[in-house]
Amino acid sequence: MAGVRSLLGQRQPELTAGAGPQDTDVAQQAQGHYRRGRTVMRAGELAQAIAEFDRATELVPDYAEAIAARAEALDMLGQSEAAKPEYERARQLWAADRPGAPDRRYVFRRPGRFTFEIESYELALNRIKTGSFPHMACGNALLVLGRPGEALKQYERALKLKINDPDLTALTGEALSMMGQYLRAIEAFDFALAVNSKDADTLSARAIACMALGKVDEADADWRRQIALLGQEQPAARACVAFRLTDYALAVTEFGRAIEKEPADAYWRLYRLTAQRRLGISGSAADAAPTNAWPSPLFALHAGAISADEVLAQADTDGRRTEALFQLGVLALPDDPGLAAERWRDVVASGAPALIEHAAARNELAKLGA
Amino acid sequence: MFSVIIYGRNDSHGYNLHKRAAISFNALAEVMSDPDDEILFVDYNTPDDHPTFPEAIWDTLTDKAKKVMRILRVRPEQHAHLKSKTHLVALESQSRNIALRRSNPANRWILYTNTDMLLVSRIQGQSVSDILREVPDGFYQVPRFEIPEMLWEAAFDRRDPAGNLVKLRDWSVRFHLNQVVHNFMPMRYDALGDFQAALREDMIAIHGFDETMILGWHCDSNLAARLALYRGRVDTLIDKVFGYHCDHTRVAAANNKGRKTKMNDHDQYIWNVSTPYLPAQAESWGWPDVEIEEVRLDRETPYERYVAGLGKAIKPATVPFTSSSCEWHLYDDLTYDLPHTLPFACDQVLTYPRSTAIMVIGARPDFLSSFAAAWEGMGFTGPILVPQECVGLPTDLPAITTGPFAELLPKAELFMVEFGLATQKIDDPVRVGRQAAPLDKKRLKVVERLFRQAASAEAETRPAGRRLPRRFIGVNVIYNKYWIPFTDHVSANINPFCSQVLAGLPRIDESLKGKVLRFRGRHAL
Repeated sequence: MAGVRSLLGQRQPELTAGAGPQDTDVAQQAQGHYRRGRTVMRAGELAQAIAEFDRATELVPDYAEAIAARAEALDMLGQSEAAKPEYERARQLWAADRPGAPDRRYVFRRPGRFTFEIESYELALNRIKTGSFPHMACGNALLVLGRPGEALKQYERALKLKINDPDLTALTGEALSMMGQYLRAIEAFDFALAVNSKDADTLSARAIACMALGKVDEADADWRRQIALLGQEQPAARACVAFRLTDYALAVTEFGRAIEKEPADAYWRLYRLTAQRRLGISGSAADAAPTNAWPSPLFALHAGAISADEVLAQADTDGRRTEALFQLGVLALPDDPGLAAERWRDVVASGAPALIEHAAARNELAKLGA
Repeated sequence: MFSVIIYGRNDSHGYNLHKRAAISFNALAEVMSDPDDEILFVDYNTPDDHPTFPEAIWDTLTDKAKKVMRILRVRPEQHAHLKSKTHLVALESQSRNIALRRSNPANRWILYTNTDMLLVSRIQGQSVSDILREVPDGFYQVPRFEIPEMLWEAAFDRRDPAGNLVKLRDWSVRFHLNQVVHNFMPMRYDALGDFQAALREDMIAIHGFDETMILGWHCDSNLAARLALYRGRVDTLIDKVFGYHCDHTRVAAANNKGRKTKMNDHDQYIWNVSTPYLPAQAESWGWPDVEIEEVRLDRETPYERYVAGLGKAIKPATVPFTSSSCEWHLYDDLTYDLPHTLPFACDQVLTYPRSTAIMVIGARPDFLSSFAAAWEGMGFTGPILVPQECVGLPTDLPAITTGPFAELLPKAELFMVEFGLATQKIDDPVRVGRQAAPLDKKRLKVVERLFRQAASAEAETRPAGRRLPRRFIGVNVIYNKYWIPFTDHVSANINPFCSQVLAGLPRIDESLKGKVLRFRGRHAL
């Protein structure tokens, strides 16, 4: 399932073009049906719309937008009882998407497919010729979907309408950073920060770009400024920044507060456990949620219940592999700093710079002088 | 679970506001079931001498509505710095942010709506608290359905919210009320501002409503645009709850001039929004450093304060009625019935902030001592400033501060001027042709001089930072020799003689006569 979902999110060439069901890619086909369903629904052809949504969800069963649209069509036909669980299911699917790191720009904090939104903003663009908002909103959706090149085009269109806007410029920086064009990204962030030096999101973005270029001191300086700007009511964001900085004492405190607020979040427990271990405090690996889902294997690793090879075997995405490598470094450090450094060098080499572990690994290596 | 945030003022915004609002307040309270739920009504810029809007209609509210409602009163003086920048008398963004700042932090949700909305859950009996408890984090809207004016006006009983909601369920089917009007994203629906449910922490993160939007309209669309960016999505609760609006277009509201309506710029505030945040107001949104009075309808009501105050000052009458006379031959008789007059004098001050400093210029010692007792009893904490030039008045009472008139003048926020006879005792007959004694004349001469000076120089002697003129209350100024002097300087209405009291702001008469009067007043000629 995760594979199809990521396919929908990451492999579509151009969301602004209407994909048709004849397309071979499953996700594109589903999206095509969804969009056709929306079109006929607006024309009042509810039964036909439902059929299109059905086809979409046959291809991608957890296609929340299609499920929600189908529910609305059923409701309009008077089949409200049938619609209710569908509405609910869509809502739960959206809620199940794990939000992005809370210390990053708002765009990255909310996951999703945003097919409905992109389509709606495209409709708006047919009428709204002088507004940058629909371009930017489309760009944001594309950025979250992992399509920075297309997002950048949208932002550039928006900037033609709202010239030199610092927020739009910062978004172009995010797209460039995601494309690996860190120097250009930093230029964009510098521009935005010259206008608003207290823009915590952009400080975070520039720190990530700097870290990607190995400018550890500059990156850390930005994160330190960011953490000073983050309010006490944002413990998870503060904790993540502290973790990137390998300020583990602060991270333990802030993750503790984040856990009070979001007790079900396994990552906050994992990172607190990691920070505790780095401080030589005994944490509890039993903090793990009783599930086999990721990141449970990382708790098992801390508890000594599985080996390095086993955890790496279970890390089925690049991100998870990066997480596992970082934890292996933490566990190796007391007895074998050389191995720890090796693990962290792997993190730096293979992990996306935006990941918390990437920054933490860079800082750990700097501390080791490695 | 949720804080409803609404705003308004004690005026007549649109057709039959009182009924619409009562229906709405009661209906909103009816769908609350969590002990933390609250309705925050920001009473924005109601004149100081008026009660807040909910206080004015309290008798039409249910006990539940009175219990859950917190009224946050924004005084005209607190709005004065924005007055020249807008044609509006009530500002939406400021109001909603003031409430957000002061909302119950235990509540997960903020629900923005208006004072003419009813929410009907689709599962009968399910509260909106239950609905919001169950739904995941997000930004939710519902479409607004209209109720024809005749229906809500003629058929709703404002004190029967449950019955009204039942009627609405029936009408929605019978009269085909439920039409969803879609709109472009990020608005999603038309008239979106009547149901926008956002996480409290999201609203704080994005710095609330945009307080540069002071021309009316589109505040809701701006919020939708910014929350759509922040959350990525605009979700709907159409499967859970329907929102109904009491249509009120028989009479255009003050901010509705048809095609000539002045409004916030559509492009700037919707189509060119480029961030969810408002860094320029990050520290100041919702006026964190401004003390906003909170009024409750379930405790310390104005009536309770009034009764407590007068209870300390006067005893109940022992006779069926007393008498006075407004016949012209009694024009020079300045006697008045103090126990009868005091309630009208107190009525003039009750709605002012409790910290108000009032200057009392007068002649009758028993008036001042009675008023001082009532002042304290009504819960006022500010001083009664009594000029030492007013010889013969008691100055040893706890609420009273005395000093030279010129020194007290810039400290006063309100004036009360009493034109009685210093020699009148509480049991003396009233308006029977009594002439002023030499002592009375001497004292009244001082009262009149100080009054003229205070009124003529009001603008120049305001407390530091105060922008708005101070109000003057005249006691015993109707149909007697002080009627003319008082109204020469104060823009007062014509009031019934029986109340004995007139009040108003200093008169700005630009005629030669007005200028001469002010000149003479300033220099006490």
